[in-house]
Parts: sequence; C-alpha cells; structure tokens
Amino acid sequence: MKKSLVLSLVLLMLLSAFSSVLAEEITVVTSYGGDDGNRVNFEAAVKAYEAATGNKVNDESATSNEEWKAKILTDFETGAEPDVLFFFNGVDSNPLVEAGKVVSVDEIRAVYPDYASNMKDSMLGASPVDGKNYSIPVNGYWEGLFVNKTVLAAAGVEVPGADYTWEQFLLDCQKIKDAGYTPIAVSLQEVPHYWFEFTVFNHGSVANHLDLPASSTDEVGQKWVAGLEDIKTLYDSGFLPANTLTATDAETFQLMAEDKAAFAIDGSWKIGWFQSTVADINDYTVTYIPGNGDRAATDIIGGLSMGYYIPRKAWDVPEKQKAAVDFIALMSSDDVVSTFGATAVTALKNGTTPPADADALVNAALEMTKGSTGIAPAVQDKLSSEARADLFANIKNIVTGKITAAEAIDAAIALN
Amino acid sequence: MSSTIYKNKLPLLVFLVPAFLMMGLFLYYPFVMNFFNSFSNISGLGTAAKGLNDPWYANYIRLFSDPNMRTAIKNSLFLMLMTIVFQVGIALVLAIFVDMIQKGAQFFRTVYFFPIVISATALGLLFNLIYLYDGGMLNQLLQKVFGFTQNIDWKDQDHFMATMLTPVMWQYVGFYFVILVTGLNNIPQEIYEAASLDGAGTWQRTRFISLPLLRNVLCTCLVLAITGALKVFDLPWVMMGAGIPMDESWLTGTYMYNQTFLRSDVDYGSTIAVLIVVLGVVISQIANKIFREKEY
Repeated sequence: MKKSLVLSLVLLMLLSAFSSVLAEEITVVTSYGGDDGNRVNFEAAVKAYEAATGNKVNDESATSNEEWKAKILTDFETGAEPDVLFFFNGVDSNPLVEAGKVVSVDEIRAVYPDYASNMKDSMLGASPVDGKNYSIPVNGYWEGLFVNKTVLAAAGVEVPGADYTWEQFLLDCQKIKDAGYTPIAVSLQEVPHYWFEFTVFNHGSVANHLDLPASSTDEVGQKWVAGLEDIKTLYDSGFLPANTLTATDAETFQLMAEDKAAFAIDGSWKIGWFQSTVADINDYTVTYIPGNGDRAATDIIGGLSMGYYIPRKAWDVPEKQKAAVDFIALMSSDDVVSTFGATAVTALKNGTTPPADADALVNAALEMTKGSTGIAPAVQDKLSSEARADLFANIKNIVTGKITAAEAIDAAIALN
Repeated sequence: MSSTIYKNKLPLLVFLVPAFLMMGLFLYYPFVMNFFNSFSNISGLGTAAKGLNDPWYANYIRLFSDPNMRTAIKNSLFLMLMTIVFQVGIALVLAIFVDMIQKGAQFFRTVYFFPIVISATALGLLFNLIYLYDGGMLNQLLQKVFGFTQNIDWKDQDHFMATMLTPVMWQYVGFYFVILVTGLNNIPQEIYEAASLDGAGTWQRTRFISLPLLRNVLCTCLVLAITGALKVFDLPWVMMGAGIPMDESWLTGTYMYNQTFLRSDVDYGSTIAVLIVVLGVVISQIANKIFREKEY
C-alpha cells in the first residue's frame, strides 16, 4: 500500500515537472494596464491563450504615457526587453527598428506563412525607418467629442452634429458657462494632447495635417501657432475647468461623470471608462469635433498607431518564438479584435463585428466613424518624445502668456 | 594564548572587502560615470552617448541659467528650513510633553511614529484626495462647516507650497520624536528630583536640564533632517508631478527625475545629479560643523 502510494506520488511529480517543462512562460508588455478601457478584454484574451496553449503569460502591462514609452526603450537598451511588446508604430518605435531589436513581419512569415494573414498588409503600420511592417495592430483608434447630454439640455444647447463649426462651438460654450457648468473637461497641465491635435487640424486639412513645421514662421508653423492660440482663447474665455493648470486628467474627466462638464475630447479607448463610471450611459454620446476652414467636422483623427512586436531576443529562442507567435495570432484574430475595438479603424480583411448588445455610446461611435469624410493620423506621433514632452509642457505657459505659441513651437522643433 | 590573533588582519579584510566592492560597484562607479555623462550628449535612458556636448561644459552653463533649476534649489533649501522648524521642532515639543506624562507614553510613541511605516506613495495619494479641488475632504469641510461658497485650488500658486510641505512634515515628525523621546528617557531621573527639591518648576527643568542634556541628540536629529530634506522625492512627486503649478513646485530630486525619465535628457539629468551630490556634501559638512556634538 505504502509502496503504491509513493509510486503514485513520484509519477505525479514527474508528470507535473514534465508539463512545466513543455509549457513556456512569456513576458508581455502592453498598454492595456491600469484603467484602460480594454483591460477586461485583454485579461480575457490572455486567459484564453493560456488555456489553449498551456503557456503562462507574465503580464507587465501598464498605462501608456511618456514615462511608459521611455521605460520600454530603456528595457530594450539594457537587454531587459519583453517577449511580446504592444507599442507604437510611429517614430516612437524608430530606436527599436534602427537597432534591429524587433523582427519584421516578412521575416516572421518566412517561418510562419499564415502570420497575420487576416490583416490588410497596407494597414499594418509600416515603420518610418525603412517602410517595412514590424507590428500587428489590434484595435485602431479614433478621437471624438464626448458629450454630456444632461448638461447640454440644462444649458439649452443642442447635441453637435456633422456640420458643427468652431464658431457655433464657442457660442455654445458661452451658453454652458452662463448656465453655471464647465464647458470643457480638460487638464492642460497633464493631457492637452487632443486639443492640440484638433486645434491644429482646424487650421489645415486631412491632406496636410501630417506636415511638420521647420520653424514657427513657415506655413505649417503658422498653422500650429493659430491652433495653440485657439487653446489660449478657450482658456481666456473661462471655458476650461478652474483648476485646468493643476488638475490631473482623471480629475477633470470626473466632471463629465458628475454632470458638471459638457464636452471632452478623447479617444476610442475612453468608451470603456464611460461604461464603467457613469450612472447612465444613455446620458452621453460621442460626436464630431467642431470643424473650421478646410477641415469639415466629419474629418477625424484616427488610425492604427500601435501593434504587437516580437523582439529579436525572444525570436532567437525557438520555444519563445513559437509562444510569441501563437500569442499574437490569438490577439489579432477576428474575434478578439472585435471585442477590443468594434467601433475603431481596423486592419482586418473581414472588418470587425459590432457587439449585439451595443450601448448608446458604442452605437454613436459606430455612426460617427461610418459618417467620417476623411481620416488623418495624429501629427504629434511624428514628433520625438523629447519634442512632444517639451511642447505639451509649454501649453500651460502659452495660455497664461508666459511664452508665445511661436516660442514654444521653435523650442520643440529644436529638440525634434 | 598568543597575541598574534590580534595581528592577523585577514578576517577583517574578509569582511571589509566585499562591502567595499559593493560600494565601489554600485555607488562610486555609477557616480563617476554620472559625472562623465554630464558632459556627454545622451538623448535617451540606456542609449549610448553621441560624443561630448559642444562645449563639453554646456550642461553646467544651462544649469545656472535654467529658471526651473533655480526654483528647484530655492524650494529644496526652503524645504530644509521647514524641516528644521517643523519636523524637528514639533517632534521636540511632543517629546517633552510625552516625557512628562506617566501613563500612555507608549501609546503616543506608537501613534506619532505610525506615519513613518506608510509608504510615501500611499500618503501622496491620500493627501491628493484630501486636497482634491472638486469634492476633496478639505473643500467639503470648508463649505459644510465654515460656509465657504467656492472651492479652493490647493495646488495653485497661492497654496501649493503649504499643500506640498504639510504631508512631508507630518510624515517624519514621528521619526525625530522617537529619537528625542529616547534621549529624554536617558537623562537620569535624580537630576530632575534634585532640581525639584531646589524649587525648579516644569519650565525651568525643561530649560535648564532637558534641553542642555538633549543637545547631542538634537544635533544628530538636525543633521539627519537637513541631509534628508535634500533627498525628498516620492511624496512631492506623487502630489505635484511635473512642477504643478506652472513649474513652481520643482525640487532638485523631482526635476532631475523629470529631465531624465520623462524628457529623455539624460545628460542634463546627470548634471542635476552632480549638483545634488555637491549640495548634499557641502550642506551636510556645514550642518556637522554647526551642530557638532559636545563632550560632557
């Protein structure tokens, strides 16, 4: 009896040791950390991968910001890169491509011919360094004007539509302010990014939005100056929260949830925040950001700015290679992509499938993207992280008159 | 027994060399490299230097012309002064009071020391909620109890210094309190009894017995407080982030972190680090000279 018990235990231990030898552990870094709207979807997809493959995922995801980007680049420099990385495919990824730290899609397909075969190659997000594809996008993004309908009704303002202009927007903001509400929820000290993008867009068009200025005095520079001065107008008019220069983004967004603010610009990922935070999702909608000049309100900012990379270090280890390819194959499958961003721009050949139980906000987003007349990627993604950080840190100085918009632009260009 | 065992220095070396190597590898080598980096052109953490700056001392010129750096040094020196006055000052008053009571001294020791064991990041988040503009504890209290009609932005230019310093002061009072109360406990009770027999009151016993005999402990606390003030980083970083408001709240540590990790200006961050070390060495030497312990 004792002998058979000991034998069973030994067999169990051997089996367990054998299965742990077969299972592979991969470290994955994505931006689906913290309070990201897709965190739940990501966790579910990771569980599905672990169940299907028996592999273990060491999830080191975090919230995407400048600090996160810097940390990832440092990890690659110091040889501490993950086995799978979800990262930007614009200039932020240039150091990774230039140093040969990530593997191209062509090289992966030489070994795994079906890799990302459900995606349109032209939309994968080619590297600015050599025009080759290195990453596989999951959910694209759009940026839109989130609206608190309760506040608008209280102030006697209509929900903006496809022909909404900047002049109408300023008049509406005044009405909302006069009714005792904050017209725009934004933290200029932390996340002025979206307002910069659209105020600059409003002085150009889809065709020239991605042009970078050589100085504040050239044509593109003047466009940027005019955009930044529009933000100053909003600040001087008292349309922003009283503490916009000291508050965090989370604090100002809370004004939307508490029916204290009317408008906020953010991306497709913010839908998850509304769904999990506000009392009644039907009180909110998302629509076009007011247009101006050559830019129609229906011209939107969007695209596929991030994707999954396989670092060279993991690729060179056969077991890690297979595990990483399997992970990305699952994450970029039609079903999983549809759960991540049914409303967003997609590279899927078959398109995404909107959820059957879509709420009012998701339906509004679908309607908005369907009605868009033009789409341009964010121009800020073409700036180096140093230049971008400097420009956005100076927006508070522009609106308070410490420096001019032209000075801020020249300082940023010097760092780019 | 032969006395040669005292002449054999090998055991001493066995213990000293590993510690020396660790210090050399993880403290002095990085410091030397940091000094070298301050003259180089490095535009990303971990990236190789693209040669020396032109001129090689460019960062040091920038250091003295950078208005944010001036703000950081000014704020750090002010923090140091406040640390002496409030952290050590309040700790001294509390220690004297607790030393006077017979019952409950241990209770107060625990209560005052407790903030030390909470992480600075957690404290920062806690105080962020207290100072929150919209719906924060302090603003709600002022409106519901004192009838204020407007929210106060506790992080604006009029209030940020008090907002930032209050939690920093509050956190470390207990640390100096415990050191000082231990010092007071070490003063022989007979001296107080003799003074009482001679007719000395409470104030006179404190003024002429406690404070003079506590001098050396107080000096140690002051040196620790001054050098510690230069290293304060986490709590102000969580609360005030990137110089909120309007680049007014920078400290030397937070500004160095911002330049290195967020602005990717590694060589300038290294230059600030060199300045922090120089400031630390100079100020601690001055503090040691001023508050030198006395032999009794």
